[in-house]
Amino acid sequence: MSHARGSFGRQLRSDLRLLFGRPRTIALLAGLAAVPLLLAIVLFVAQNSGMAGQGPGFIGRVTGNGLFLVIAALFLCLPFLLPLTVGITAGDAIAGEAQTGTLRYLLTLPSSRSRLLASKALASLAFAMAAVLLIAAVALASGGAFFGLTDMTLLSGSTVGLAEGMGRMFGVALYVALSLTGLVAVGLFFSTLTEVPVGAMAATTIVAVVSSVLDTLPQLAAIHPYLLTHHWFDFAEFLRVEVNWSVLGSGMLVQLGWVAIFLSLAWGRFTTADVTS
Amino acid sequence: MTSTAPARRNFLRSPWVVPIAVTSAVAVSLLSQPLFASGDSNDLPDVTADQLVTQVLDAKPQAMSGTVVHTARLGLPDMLFTEATGADPISLLGGSSTMRVWTDGVDRSRVALLGTMSEYSVVNDGPEAWTYSSSNDEAVHYSFSDADLARLKTMGEQARVEATKKQAELPTPQEAATEALARVGEFSTVRVDSQSTVAGREVYQLIVTPTTDKTLVKRIVLSIDGETKIPLRVQTWSTQDDTAPAVEVSFTDVTFGMPSESVFGFTAPAGVTEREVVVPLPQNDGAVKGSGSAHEMPVVTGTGWGTVVEFKDLDVAALLAKDPSAMTGSGERIIGSEEAQKMLEEFVPEHSDGSGMDMGVLYDQLTTKVPEGRLLSTTLLSILVTNDGRVLVGAVPAETLRAMA
Repeated sequence: MSHARGSFGRQLRSDLRLLFGRPRTIALLAGLAAVPLLLAIVLFVAQNSGMAGQGPGFIGRVTGNGLFLVIAALFLCLPFLLPLTVGITAGDAIAGEAQTGTLRYLLTLPSSRSRLLASKALASLAFAMAAVLLIAAVALASGGAFFGLTDMTLLSGSTVGLAEGMGRMFGVALYVALSLTGLVAVGLFFSTLTEVPVGAMAATTIVAVVSSVLDTLPQLAAIHPYLLTHHWFDFAEFLRVEVNWSVLGSGMLVQLGWVAIFLSLAWGRFTTADVTS
Repeated sequence: MTSTAPARRNFLRSPWVVPIAVTSAVAVSLLSQPLFASGDSNDLPDVTADQLVTQVLDAKPQAMSGTVVHTARLGLPDMLFTEATGADPISLLGGSSTMRVWTDGVDRSRVALLGTMSEYSVVNDGPEAWTYSSSNDEAVHYSFSDADLARLKTMGEQARVEATKKQAELPTPQEAATEALARVGEFSTVRVDSQSTVAGREVYQLIVTPTTDKTLVKRIVLSIDGETKIPLRVQTWSTQDDTAPAVEVSFTDVTFGMPSESVFGFTAPAGVTEREVVVPLPQNDGAVKGSGSAHEMPVVTGTGWGTVVEFKDLDVAALLAKDPSAMTGSGERIIGSEEAQKMLEEFVPEHSDGSGMDMGVLYDQLTTKVPEGRLLSTTLLSILVTNDGRVLVGAVPAETLRAMA
């Protein structure tokens, strides 16, 4: 444990390079970035047709104000696309190295397993953050280009200026990004269990999907507040006249609980596992 | 490090202790939450039921804000309400709804019914009121005519507050409690139950029990804030269900203090559908002026909780076609219980196309066919629409209505 601080920095930089230098990661990010762009084009083409103003969430409002494209895009990506891509990167973090046989070489480096795990966790988290912020940025740019950015009408019927509207959109993106931390931890844990990355990826995505299914069953109302995905859509709080921070805080607290449990499980597993490949 | 480790290592030294400790810590903090939220307390001075009722009715309205959860278990099919798109008052008829409440304690308030990605707001700003639904981007502006406004200016403050109160509203614990207590002397008995905690505040519990057994209402439990005497929770129990209250409206968090000015104002946002509604100011005798004269006054049978109201020549078809004039002016505040009155109002479409649902389909699904007509039966309210165009409504068992038809 007495390694120089620089070794962890080197490790993290190398993991980030490895992750973001991969064609697979670039393709995932490009795919996610295409969602707001596609949405903007579709809405732009359809805005004078009979289908204008229809659609779930905020899709109907996008044509009036490009700012809403940020919400509409995140609203569309959050249930499945984001968990899927987070599952792919987090699930691959350890299992991918194990499958290609590079894990045991990593373990011969003068760095503890805990540091290796921490570095992998941060790299996976960086991907989740990058994905959400990229969607938001592309949505803001294409929303502005296609529909213009103006004062924002909140769900409560109040209107806020453009600067505050942008600030609130940033809050939404940040909340969504932080909401994915629990899933990153779950993915990392699955990744320490297997040498087959696809298994860990699928399992992580399934956890998110199962969680949202359980969230719809009224019989399980007692456990709903603690489900991984239950508070994901609370970002709507940023669109109300008075943002209730305690609602957002409890959402973050639930993520913290999932992170604590699954990161410690991942650590327990990874530091005791026999690495043979 | 691992492959050479002895097979039977001391468990307490294994890294697995860490996740186990972390998981237990999370579980403990999770389990301890509800214990703090609802424990019995015993620190408030003792009061008698009559003293408490007087204190509640005399309590000075407070500037406050908070979150209210409304839960209805009326025995209606849940699916009907979850299908509703966005936040809509009709969702109050089934399941749990969350509302956020702000009030200045006088005549300005905002109540917002929250949907996942939507909101239905009711803003009362002195003599004006607004409702805004984010799902269909429609704002409704309720105001008085110029003549009524002039008359309003001549009234004293108390009368003005009374007169302008709630052209539009969503149920909050205060309103439910006021209605329940209005009937205390004549038709109900009251007693004080053990003290408790609601929204982190110590409360008295007041139990209002109807003296008659002709009603569906078994008892109403009011939780009164020990300090301010403001009702923080109202549970209405039905005779049909002993396990849980049929309707519960409760603060889950509450802050006393003046809310920020921004919540009380409302300006219709650019580009919304805006509708103007001129509300008749009640005359001094409380009757509503003007509208509703086309209908015969409803026939009221019985008193107190067992009251049954009979509407004649009510055009149910027009009601279902969302023609609000079919209902305006009749049946204001005459049904047996507050909750029943609320439900009736929610069945009556107030806004042109707010529910996003076909009321005709809803009507067919909610009511059952009986020899006398069509019957809607819930745990707190029964409505019978007879074949010859009469509508009987009451917080009484369905059999009572059928016998009267």
